[in-house]
Amino acid sequence: MRGLLVFLVPFLVYAQGAKSDLDQGRAVFRSNCAFCHGMTGQGGRGPNLVSGQSTHGRTDADLKRIITKGVPGSSMPSFSDIEDKELARLVLFVKALSGGVATKETPSGNAANGRRVYARHACSACHRIGDEGSVYGPELTRIGAGRSLAYLREAIVNPSADVPPEWEGVEVVEKDGTEVRGVRVNEDTFTVQLRDPSQKFRMFDKSEVKEVRHLGATSLMPAYDGMPKEMLEDLVSYLYSLRGQGADAKAIQPRKGVQ
Amino acid sequence: MRFALCMLATCLAVKVQAQEGWTTYWGDYGGTRYRTLDQINTANVNDLRLAWIFQTGVPGRFQTVPLVVDGIMYLTAAGGHAFAIDPASGRQLWHYEYKVPQGVKICCGTQNRGLAKIDDRLFMTTPDAHVVALDAKSGRVLWDVEIASWKNGYGATMAPLAIKDRVLVGVSGGEYGIRGLIDAYDAVTGKRVWRFWTIPEKGEPGGDTWLADSWKRGGGPTWMTGTYDPGLNLTYWGIGNPGPDLFGKERLGDNLYTGSVVALDPDTGKLKWHYQFTPHDTHDWDATETPVLFDAEYKGRKRNLLAQANRNAFFYLLDRETGEFLFAKAYGRQNWNDGFDEKGRPKAKPNTEPSPEGTPLCPGLAGGANWMAPSYNPQTGLFYFTYLEQCDVYFSAPPEFIDGKPYWGSMSRGVTDDHGWGMLKALDPLTGDAKWEFRFFHPGWAGTLATSGGLLFTGDEDGYFMAFDATSGKLLWKVSTGSALATSPITYRLNGKQYVTMPSGAALLTFALP
Repeated sequence: MRGLLVFLVPFLVYAQGAKSDLDQGRAVFRSNCAFCHGMTGQGGRGPNLVSGQSTHGRTDADLKRIITKGVPGSSMPSFSDIEDKELARLVLFVKALSGGVATKETPSGNAANGRRVYARHACSACHRIGDEGSVYGPELTRIGAGRSLAYLREAIVNPSADVPPEWEGVEVVEKDGTEVRGVRVNEDTFTVQLRDPSQKFRMFDKSEVKEVRHLGATSLMPAYDGMPKEMLEDLVSYLYSLRGQGADAKAIQPRKGVQ
Repeated sequence: MRFALCMLATCLAVKVQAQEGWTTYWGDYGGTRYRTLDQINTANVNDLRLAWIFQTGVPGRFQTVPLVVDGIMYLTAAGGHAFAIDPASGRQLWHYEYKVPQGVKICCGTQNRGLAKIDDRLFMTTPDAHVVALDAKSGRVLWDVEIASWKNGYGATMAPLAIKDRVLVGVSGGEYGIRGLIDAYDAVTGKRVWRFWTIPEKGEPGGDTWLADSWKRGGGPTWMTGTYDPGLNLTYWGIGNPGPDLFGKERLGDNLYTGSVVALDPDTGKLKWHYQFTPHDTHDWDATETPVLFDAEYKGRKRNLLAQANRNAFFYLLDRETGEFLFAKAYGRQNWNDGFDEKGRPKAKPNTEPSPEGTPLCPGLAGGANWMAPSYNPQTGLFYFTYLEQCDVYFSAPPEFIDGKPYWGSMSRGVTDDHGWGMLKALDPLTGDAKWEFRFFHPGWAGTLATSGGLLFTGDEDGYFMAFDATSGKLLWKVSTGSALATSPITYRLNGKQYVTMPSGAALLTFALP
């Protein structure tokens, strides 16, 4: 009995310490990562972290590298200024998200059929996979590595559910009434630059047009909400299978400091 | 009689010189950033063009405000650089570089906001929290004093304030568990004359506004230059946020003098009065915005006034002699405060504290107003300022205190799909009512300059440097400088010609009429 007590006390102290590290890891996750990965890690603009799948590795060293260096070709930024101790706690929490339990997401459709659905709907008129397709819409080369199944499904059926700022649409009404619609490439107080569906840049001085309409949360992509369920699941499966190296290696922006 | 005339002539010469040059960080002691120079005016500003560019070659945020004194321009650049240049041609006269010793960890950025000058001496702060005195004739170091140690989380970015034969400086480090301070040094010897701790210790007045020993690491940085009223002999300083920024449970109480303006006697460093804008702040709302000093009739009585557009989205008017709260009014989106009691204490709404799940609140962590300098134009009677119109989600978690390490108590981030934008506003400072405003596409960091030419100069985050009609708010002139503007323009006259200078990127751009 006495021996057991002696044994238990250090264990309890250890367990409490471990819990608080996990809590602190959760706090770091909520304030830094949840914006893209969701409050519970189920995914969003960033991949689902609960499923335990990762294209970039799951060891402590892998996770530390991904967090501090970012993922080139994706929208995962680098968190280079994170303190070592906080990083260790964050890694602990991210690993705990998947809980070591196999909750792998399994697409229910047929990816080969999905590829045909993709072709039939001329998705490549706006999207690009590898070297094929258009740069008008988001590149899909590695979209399966960066999004959950639920996100992909919703992005097809209701694309306006989530429009990242870099894909917001703008409509410019010229003085003669001509409407030019496109993805906003850049904008400032006095000018706006778009990419139109033919992949051409269109640039305007705001004082020389009748109106500039910001589509905001309304996606430029049509909603495929009437797509038969089986076809949709095939397409989702195809997109989920896309895990190639992105061609658009975006510059990784460190966060701006605030005094 | 002759002597008196001489005296008068000297006085006049000094006054004219002051109006022709730009002799302090704010351009004047009162922080009004107003100049009676009207060669460039509403009728001809459209002809304004580039006179010269000085390239510093220094990367990093260029936040200096140059001085122009006795026909020489002095400026700093990030990391510890100082330059003297010819303000007519932009040609360099000397260059000084402060070397931060190897192994030193800089807490709060390497940007530098500028210099102060007394006689032939220039004063600057360094990223590792030193004050350096330079010989204005050569850039040679006269003395170099450590304000406080970088090991304890101190840094410095601010431009010193010269009062009589004293150099007043403040510190950065509000996110690193410092105890804030304002120091005064003897201009000639570099000897410290007094120190004002921005956080009183237990037993001192205000010491009971901190739970247990939380005052020892309570923040209260002083990273923006104060203003000065020679008549009242008082200097006014905005005090920064309490620490840890977003987690208030371990520092229950009002946390004086964080989030406050303090009025100090510059001879002794003694506190005359204080007013706290944000008691027990948990949103990083530093009160370091300029305390602007001007005199006007308020409610039938001529008064010495102090105005501040605070980071918490309220505009405040105080009596600067007594610290009396006159009124406050929201100038931007805010949902943290339900008004004020008669003493000026805000009625904070419930459930506005940061939380583990995130609390959405306006304004955002960076403001509201921030370091962007406002202006007051006595001709129009208007107060001009720029601010960020944005909200944030505020997260909190208990932090661990390690000396010299970040001590935030969690983080904030933007609200999804809320873009935020920048604003330039002209307010009647006696009512807080907006007279006109101009919206910028992105929230930005450029301050303002007012002139008797009826102009208001400012810039935006996309690099446009602009001039507005100060009365109507009409945009009269703009130029794209190619880099986000993050400081405030100045103007000066040299050999009868008026110039306007604005730092952009690593370049100092100076404009004049052809």
